Amino acid sequence: MKDRKTTHFGYQEVPVEEKAGRVAEVFHSVAARYDVMNDLMSGGIHRLWKRFTIELSGARPGQHILDIAGGTGDLTARFSRIVGASGQVVLADINESMLRVGRDRLLDRGVAGNVVPVQADAQYLPFPDNTFDCITIAFGLRNVTDKDLALRSMLRVLKPGGRLLVLEFSKPESKLLEKVYDQYSFRLLPFMGKLVANDADSYRYLAESIRMHPDQETLKQMMADAGFVDCEYHNMTGGIVALHRGIKP
Amino acid sequence: MSDPTYRAGFDAALETAINTALQYDPTTRARLQGLDGKVMALNLTAPKLQCCLCIEGDQVRVRQHWEGDVTTSVSGSAIAFMRLLKDPDATPAALGVSISGSSALLAELQWIMSDLDIDWEAPLAQLVGDIPAHSIGSVLRSASSWLSASLSRAPVAAAETISEEWQLTPPQAQFEAFADDLAELSLATERLEARVRLLQEQFSRREAE
Repeated sequence: MKDRKTTHFGYQEVPVEEKAGRVAEVFHSVAARYDVMNDLMSGGIHRLWKRFTIELSGARPGQHILDIAGGTGDLTARFSRIVGASGQVVLADINESMLRVGRDRLLDRGVAGNVVPVQADAQYLPFPDNTFDCITIAFGLRNVTDKDLALRSMLRVLKPGGRLLVLEFSKPESKLLEKVYDQYSFRLLPFMGKLVANDADSYRYLAESIRMHPDQETLKQMMADAGFVDCEYHNMTGGIVALHRGIKP
Repeated sequence: MSDPTYRAGFDAALETAINTALQYDPTTRARLQGLDGKVMALNLTAPKLQCCLCIEGDQVRVRQHWEGDVTTSVSGSAIAFMRLLKDPDATPAALGVSISGSSALLAELQWIMSDLDIDWEAPLAQLVGDIPAHSIGSVLRSASSWLSASLSRAPVAAAETISEEWQLTPPQAQFEAFADDLAELSLATERLEARVRLLQEQFSRREAE
């Protein structure tokens, strides 16, 4: 019998070709209440993580920015203001529901003109080589089936000197914080998911996928292996979240 | 490096406070628009803090990390910087503040801040209504004016009480005369010391011959 290649979906092992579909189901399910849950789960701190991400992006007027897994458009809205009319922000997400919610929300907030929503898979970005000055992927990389492939794809579409910023859950620096965080993730998070979005399973997957994501040093090495240089990371909130940055040589 | 989350929270709170206050002063907002794109880097020594104030349209953004051009860099204590902004006649050197880059931005901000007139009654009126807001505003304005006058008189009044009433220190005129005498004595001593040194050198030379 031929062995099927597998990957992780939370704590489960699933065939590689199934993961994208199962992740899609999760995000179809949570899209409508994604923002509310983000605020609830992080106590609003995700706004501060994103604020720091924007600062480290060094975005300027006239630049082209790609916001992968842009979800409901938090980063896109801020980038849109920075790059101005002469720049462009591409809001990309593999998930149709998330992209639709993001696009509608941006329009409701009056963010338009320099924003283009694109449904795209991070592993196979549908853009020419050397297109973007900066790429961000916030809380999205852990859901990608082949992260190495996605990082190489991002490197390809970045301009030389352009930077990639990966904002993602990571490994807490202190053991005590890790224990508290575990209790929170596996007990409180699914409960809140059930209460607010009537979907405990999706939020259990979110907690599991965070644990399966590479830690700070591993992700930094993966970025270097993909071809990025000057790779570095900043731990935030005790390492619960880390912001990795790499430059295309 | 400290956790960027806390700094981001501090910056966000400061930025919100500044821009919320600016909402109630349209004149200042209009003037700020003339400075769109200008950036002031602050290197505060007490408390130790570095940040950039970026003017975007009629709003101020507070950033801990900035890679673009900086119009003006200011280094000094937070209190000195605030005094510099609030008093158009204050000079950086007198307050121990050092400046690099264009000083025009600082002058513009001094001018804008000296005319800052935030209408605090407007947000209050949204909460409690126009008439109560005006009454509360009048009371607060009177209290502020009394406090400000009292604080400006306080050092003189305290000095008078200590020297005249309690007689713990000599009166100011007597102290100034004493200080002048002391300065004169100090100069005379220095002159005498110089003469003695000269004489010693002359004696040493003669003995050597």
